[in-house]
Order: sequence, then structure tokens, then C-alpha cells
Amino acid sequence: MEPIFQSSVDEVSRLVGLEDDELEILEDADRAASELLVSEFEKYVERKYNPEIMGVLKRNNLMGVPIDREYGGRGARQLVEALFLERMGQTGMGVITFSDVHQCLGSLAVQDWGNEEQKARYLPGAAKGDVVFAYGLTEPEAGSDPASLKTSYARDGGGYRLNGSKYLISNGSIATRMIVFARPQEGNGSPTAFILDTKDKGFSVDMRLEEKLGLFTSDTSMISLEDAFVPADDLLGKEGKGLAVAYSALLNGRIGIGSGCVGVMEDCLNQVKERTTSRVQHGKEIARHQLVQKHVAIIESNLEACRWLIYRAALKKDEYERDPNSLELRAESDRLSAVAKYMASRCAFESADRAVQCFGGFGYSILSPVAKHFLDTRVARIYEGTDEIMELKIASSVLGKQFEAYR
Amino acid sequence: MKLHLEGSNTMNSPREKVYSLLTDPNFISKSLPDAEDVRVLDGSSLEAKMKLRIAVVSTTLRMKMTVVRTAPPFKATLVAEGTGSGSSLNITSVFDLSEESPTIMAWSADAEIGGVMAGIGSTLLKGFATKKVAEIFAGITKAVEAAA
Repeated sequence: MEPIFQSSVDEVSRLVGLEDDELEILEDADRAASELLVSEFEKYVERKYNPEIMGVLKRNNLMGVPIDREYGGRGARQLVEALFLERMGQTGMGVITFSDVHQCLGSLAVQDWGNEEQKARYLPGAAKGDVVFAYGLTEPEAGSDPASLKTSYARDGGGYRLNGSKYLISNGSIATRMIVFARPQEGNGSPTAFILDTKDKGFSVDMRLEEKLGLFTSDTSMISLEDAFVPADDLLGKEGKGLAVAYSALLNGRIGIGSGCVGVMEDCLNQVKERTTSRVQHGKEIARHQLVQKHVAIIESNLEACRWLIYRAALKKDEYERDPNSLELRAESDRLSAVAKYMASRCAFESADRAVQCFGGFGYSILSPVAKHFLDTRVARIYEGTDEIMELKIASSVLGKQFEAYR
Repeated sequence: MKLHLEGSNTMNSPREKVYSLLTDPNFISKSLPDAEDVRVLDGSSLEAKMKLRIAVVSTTLRMKMTVVRTAPPFKATLVAEGTGSGSSLNITSVFDLSEESPTIMAWSADAEIGGVMAGIGSTLLKGFATKKVAEIFAGITKAVEAAA
């Protein structure tokens, strides 16, 4: 196994315990991450989506890590899902975005909120990679405030017709199914969640967004729904309770993004150690210069702190899943996942920035192994909950709901 | 920056024949992928311009290769050194031939990379090198079996 990841696995194993089948998932993750290295680099330099991500994950049976075994998944608890994404994060946030959206936002939304028939219909395919999920919440005028979304639905015979646009949707043009959130066309009803078939003639991809600052190997699209039809038995959860589905999916997703950021920091540390101990300037390796050592110390400290924040958030989520009726555990899980995502994304961005600095002029090129981390981690402070929303959530968890500032 | 790779290949050809071809600069000169201006210098060395491609970046290195027949027909060493386009590459590879036929070749290579190419980092370079080496050996195996 990659050495830093091996140390994570050993430490978690020693303190918490990992079963043999869980270690097998992590070995598969280690192999998959190695297999993805070359294609991720090549596609990143070309600034193109990397179709190999799905292929490698499928080959290594890693498309359904958190999906229950009864539906063909690996049945991983949140802690193991976090470790899986940590290792994949070493290859970059493009891989994390694909995995997190398909598994944490999409598959787990169906697993947590779907009825048995929906779970049987979608989860085995999702575990094999025959079904690929996207998560259609964000709109051009509804980002941090999903309750203000405008996509609407109306009943039509044995189902619903959906109309609207969704924006900055990861996996948007490669998904076979999209969890879409829409509000009733008439009245002031709350949003409802649907499982939309992207082959429906009312679904179209307006554009693939390639003009991003980073995240080049991840598919990001704008989609339109024009009388897109969803059969009645693809309504997810209860009508009018879509925001509950949305927020619980985001809780899963935030730990996933944070885990990927930990992986990014691990790669930054590896790359910086190699670079600074081999590059010689002023007659000595640059690692001997104290100001370079400061960068190394901060990256390492960021990594250690965030790693354990993520594990703690994951363990709390696992505890909540064992007692899903506990409002206290839900609140704690929500709080810790916000803290973990907030810290990990900011620390990953700072670490990547310092790593670029350690690489000097070459660090400013996307041919360097750290430039992509600098470009990609910037979005981790925005998607699945901006820094600002996380700060407000964390503050209100301390001060009390009556102090919530974002309502 | 240092890299170490190792592996093994099976060739459907007698060991003596494999050894003779792998230590013949004329044979090596025809098996090198992406090579230009190849010149055999003498019975144990050659030089060539080698194009190395990593993603969209191409680097051309002027390489000199020397074969040392350490222990015929079992073991030999190939030393390659070159520079170009702001990068340098030194590789020492050793191969051991066991079994009579098919011949199993166990090989290991230690590379030292300097300059711009080194900046890409060993994790990625190892990924590229592994892919490239597999291509090279596939080519060599095909050529050896065709020549036998």
C-alpha cells in the first residue's frame, strides 16, 4: 500500500479495528488509485474529463462501496468509505467528485430514502456501475439556498412532468439517473425529490462546463428539463419532503469531500518531501532551508489534524446510523461533518498552495504533481456547502438554533 | 530523483538465442520505440535520439547505450545515459535469463532522472515508466520470437 495511507489504515485498525473485508476494500482502493495515476495526469493536462475513472472503479469493484451487501455493494460503514476516498483523493479531487456524487449523494440517497422496490431497482446497478448517479439540486439562482429552487413539477397521468434548469451538476452528462429536486408548479409547496432517467426525451445536457479553474477530469454540466417525465414510482421519499433528502445526502457528501481533501494533503506531503530533498539550490537540498521546512511542517500538521477530524465525523455518522431516530446524534453528526469538511477543504487548499511554493517555478505548471491540487481544492471550499454556510452551521450548533443566521 | 522497476517476461525462444539478440546492438537498435538517428558504434554500444512522451509533453534525449555481457548466456547489463530538453536520464538495467525454452527473463532497472522531467515526481514517472517498459518488452518479445 502507499506508505502514508498504510499508516492511516494501521492506526485506524489499531484504535478502532478494521475487519478483513474492510481491509480488502482498502487494498482495492490502493490498487485503483495506482491504476488511475497516469490517465488522470494525462487528462488533466489536456483539461478533459477522464472516462477511465469509472472504468477503474468498476474493475476494482469500487462503484458501490457504501451500498448494502444485500444490494450487491461492499457494505462499508462511513469510516471505511472515508478511508477509501482518502486513498482516492491522492489522485485528485476529480476522482473524488465522481465517486462522492455517485456513491454518497446519489446511491445513499436511494438507500436511505427509497422504498424496497426502488432500492432493488437501482442499487445493484449502481454497485456494478451500470447505473451512474448525479445529484440535481443546484440551479443558476439557487446555490447555497436550495429552498429557493425554481425547477417545478406537475402531476401527469401516472407520473410527473418536470421543467427547469440545473447548473454545475457533477456527473451531469454521464449519469444514467439523476436525483432531481423540484417544487410543485402550483402553490408554495416544498420541494420533492425524484429519480430521473436521463434517457427521457425531456432531459438534455445544455453544455459541459469545461471552462473551470480546475477539476478538469470531472464532468460538470448544465442540464435542462422540458416536460421531463418521472413515473410515480420514481418519487424518492415523500412528496414535499425533498429538502430532508437533500440535506441528508449532503451530510454523507461532506464527509466524502473532506476525506478526499485528506488524500490531497497526503499527496502534497509526499510530493513536497521528494522535491525538497532532491532539489539543490545554494549548495544544499532546499529541504535544509528553514523557510521551506515551515511549509513542510504546516502541511503535515494540517494533514494530521484533518485526518482525525474526518475519522471522528465518520464514526459519529456510523453511530447515528445505528440509532437513526436520535435527534441528538443527528445534530452531532451534522455538526461534525460540517466542521470536518470546512477544515479539510481549507487546509487542503492551504497545503496545496504551500506545495506549489515548494516546487518553485515548476509548481506553477500543471505538469507538476501539485498544481492540480491547488486548482482543484479551491472548489472544495464551495461545493457541497460553502465555507460561509459551514461557518453558520457550526456557529448555530454552538449558539443554538434560535441564532441561525442563514434563515 | 531515483526510480526502481522490476519484472519478468517469457519469450518463446531458446535462451542462447535470446541472450545473443538482447546483447546485440544491431538488434537493440531496431527494437527501440520512438528512436531516431540510431547509430551502432561498435559490438557493444549504440546511440540514438529517444523521444519520451508524458501526456502532451515531449522530451528528446540523446542517449548512449552500452551492453555488458556479464555472464553469458545468463546475465547481462545495459547502461543507458542521456540528456536533452533540460532533462537527464541514466538507467542501469540488469537481466537474468533462466530456463532453456521458453526463456524467462527477470529484469530490474534503476533510473536516475534529473532536470525538468524529475519535477513531475516519482509516483507519476513510475506510472509512465511501467507503462512504457511494458510496451518495450512487448516489442522486444515479438522481435525475439520472430527472429528465432
